[in-house]
Order: sequence, then C-alpha cells, then structure tokens
Amino acid sequence: MRMVNLRASYNARRLALALAVILVLGFLLLPSQLQGVFQQLGSPVGWVLSWPLRAMASVHDGIADLWTGFVVLQGVEEENKLLRKELEHLKGQNSQLREAAVATERLTALLEFKAQALPSMIAAQVIGRDTGNWYRTIILNKGESDGLQSDMGVITSAGVVGRIVKTTAATSVVLLATDPNNAIAGLIQRTRDEGIVEGTTQGLARLKYIPLLSNARTGDRVVTSGLVGGFPRGLAIGTITKIDKAEEALFQSAELTPEVDVNRVEEVLVIQSPYAPNEGERLDAPSVKPKS
Amino acid sequence: MKALWYAILIACLVPIQSVLLPHVSVWAVKPDIGFIVVCLVGLLGGELEGLLVGLAMGWVMSLFSAEDLIFSMVTKGGVGYVAGLVGRQVVYLTPVVLVMGLLVTSCLAGLLTAFSLTLNEAQDLWWAIRAVVLPQALFDAVVGGTLYWMVWSRLNIERWVSDYRA
Repeated sequence: MRMVNLRASYNARRLALALAVILVLGFLLLPSQLQGVFQQLGSPVGWVLSWPLRAMASVHDGIADLWTGFVVLQGVEEENKLLRKELEHLKGQNSQLREAAVATERLTALLEFKAQALPSMIAAQVIGRDTGNWYRTIILNKGESDGLQSDMGVITSAGVVGRIVKTTAATSVVLLATDPNNAIAGLIQRTRDEGIVEGTTQGLARLKYIPLLSNARTGDRVVTSGLVGGFPRGLAIGTITKIDKAEEALFQSAELTPEVDVNRVEEVLVIQSPYAPNEGERLDAPSVKPKS
Repeated sequence: MKALWYAILIACLVPIQSVLLPHVSVWAVKPDIGFIVVCLVGLLGGELEGLLVGLAMGWVMSLFSAEDLIFSMVTKGGVGYVAGLVGRQVVYLTPVVLVMGLLVTSCLAGLLTAFSLTLNEAQDLWWAIRAVVLPQALFDAVVGGTLYWMVWSRLNIERWVSDYRA
C-alpha cells in the first residue's frame, strides 16, 4: 500500500484550478483560433518528435526485416513456384495490354483528346500508426517542409491508400481509405457508374449511391473518378465482393475489398495536387474586375 | 528540471504509442499509454502537474493522430486534473484501487469522446462503446495496474518519491 500526494501545496491547487478554468473557457469561446495557434506551434514540435519516431521505426523495421528474412522462410520454395507461374501469366497479359495501349494512343490522337497530365508525386515512408483508437491512420516521414499539405491523395503502385488530414514540419497523418470517416469519389470501371467510397468499421470499404439501374456485379473493379479530392481518374480502390440492394432504397451499395492491404503498407506516394483550372478559366470567361 | 523530464517522457511515449503498441492491439484497439501516464502523474504529483502534463500529452499525441487537437488536450488535461484531486483524497493507493480508477476514468473519457465525435451511420454509440470504449478501458486498466505493480514492487520508488517531494 502506498501513500500518495499529500504534499500538494494550496497555491499549486489554486493555480491548477485557475489554469483549468481559463483553458476551458478559452477552448469554448475561441475554439478555431486556439486550434490554429496550437497547430502552428505543433509544426516545429512535430519536427523534433519525428526524430525519436523515426529512430524507433527504423529499429522496428530492422527487426521486422530480420524476422521475415531469416526466421519466416517456411514455404518460400512453394511461393516461388507460384510467383513464377503468375509472372508468366502476367507477361502474356502485359503484351496484350501493350497492344491495347498502342491502339488507344492511335485512337486518342485521331480524336484529338488532350493527354491527362500525370501529377507529380513524392515518395514517403510509413513510420507509425494513429496514437488513438478512433481513427485508422498512418504517419509518414515527410511533412510541410517537403511540400505535403492536407487533402493530398496517398497511393501505392497497387492503388489508393488514403488522404492526408494533418501535417507538421516533418510528418503527415494519412486517414486510410478503410476509415469510416473517409470519402473518395469512385466509379465502377466496367459500368462507369459513379459513387462514393467510404470505409467500414470492419476495415473494408463500401461504394455508396450506385444507381438502381446499374448492373454492377461481384468482381467489378472500382477506381477513382477524379471528380473530387486529390486523386486523378483511374486509380484502383478495390473489387466488389457483395452488392446490397435494399427494398424501396433509392440507391444500391457494394462492399469492396480494398486493393491495398493498408495494414502492411510501408512505402507510399503522395500526389501533389495538380493545377486544376476553375470553371471560368476552362471556359475562357473574362475575369471579373473587383469593385472599387 | 522537472519540466525537462516530463518533456523527455512525452517524447519517448509518442513512438511507443505509435510504433510499438499497434503490435499488441486486440481487435484494432490498443492501450493509451499517454492516458495511463497522465493518471499516474496526476495521482502522484497533484492537480497542477496532472493538468499541465495532460495538456501537453494531449496536444503532442493529437499531432500524430486524426483526433481533434483541442478535444484531446482538454480530455487528457481534465483527466490529469481529476487524478490530482483524487490523489489528494486517497491516502493509500493499491494496485486494485488504481486498476478500478483507471477503468472508470478511461470509460468516462471514452464516452465523452464518443459523444463529441460526429459518428456516421456505421459508427453508432453502441458500436463505439462495444468496439472502442470498453476494450480500451480494460486495456488501460490492466496495463496501468501492471506498470504500477512492476515499478513499485521491484524498485524503491516510494523513497525516491518521498525525497523528491520533501
């Protein structure tokens, strides 16, 4: 049995109470201003704290590499055989796709379509996960000083990972596509029906607001529509595993298996928002002069 | 000097919480080591220390989470302050009392967070209690109790604390 805290002075108690009241009042009366101040102050603090975070992440990665490289070697030969088979299959598919790409290029030139400009990307490493339990996020080792901002899209070569929601000078927090608070504009690749992809509480994703007349089916791939958010058109989000069509509902919804295993992602690419002209600029509308 | 030690403590807890603890998570829920430390600091150091360490811990932890910055600060600061108040009333702190206290406080803080969040249709209050609040409270209580028991039974911290306060 231990004796606790009997020496806290009366002045300290009064000071604590006053400080608590001032802070609560401040947070109630000026929430956005104080949030801005603390976020600004947090940027250098985040830079300082990114060093122990990176150190711990590199030690963790070293141990994980050692484990996967030397300890978990069972079944590697079998996996190797399977991968060789898959490689052969993909080689065949690749040559077919090359042919298709050449044909598409030719037709595009004929129709005088403008080529979609590829956005510039920044590579980043995952150094941690959310410090709380309410959101599914990952922490990247790049931040404001590397040109990253909130709302930028984050991908891997396999597909969409999520989008940045918070940055400090040296780190960024990415809300994963499987988080129920995330929403990404998507479309079904085969039927071209659009919808909104949201995360689920089970760690999967769901495409909502699919038109009732859509003939979407299990196995259809869902990609980004490029209409809203920091993603260009055509990035893989997931594959439909189940269609839900409730009676008297105005829309259908579909359960997706995400293309990227967000629990194992280690390196990502951050899409720096490409220049997007507004409606007036696209239509060459004359600019409005400010009133004097 | 004390402030420097607390700053080092917080700096060490961020990588532990963000890199190591996800590996011990059960059903995607991990203990909140920051919360546990704030409770212990409040209990042993008093309201002012509990409040200040709680505010700093909430602020720093929220920089590496999608959680709302102010809410995180207020919750952890409040927990530290209440722990300080409770610490003044409790003469003898046993691991069992600490575990029960952590369980109740974590439940209350979790419920407050659940109420404050704009939960969507998939995340109703019942889901929040079942999937996050209760498992986290249990985790916090077990980890906090174990930490307390380990430190206080293995090391002569009691004398160190008495000397430190004197």
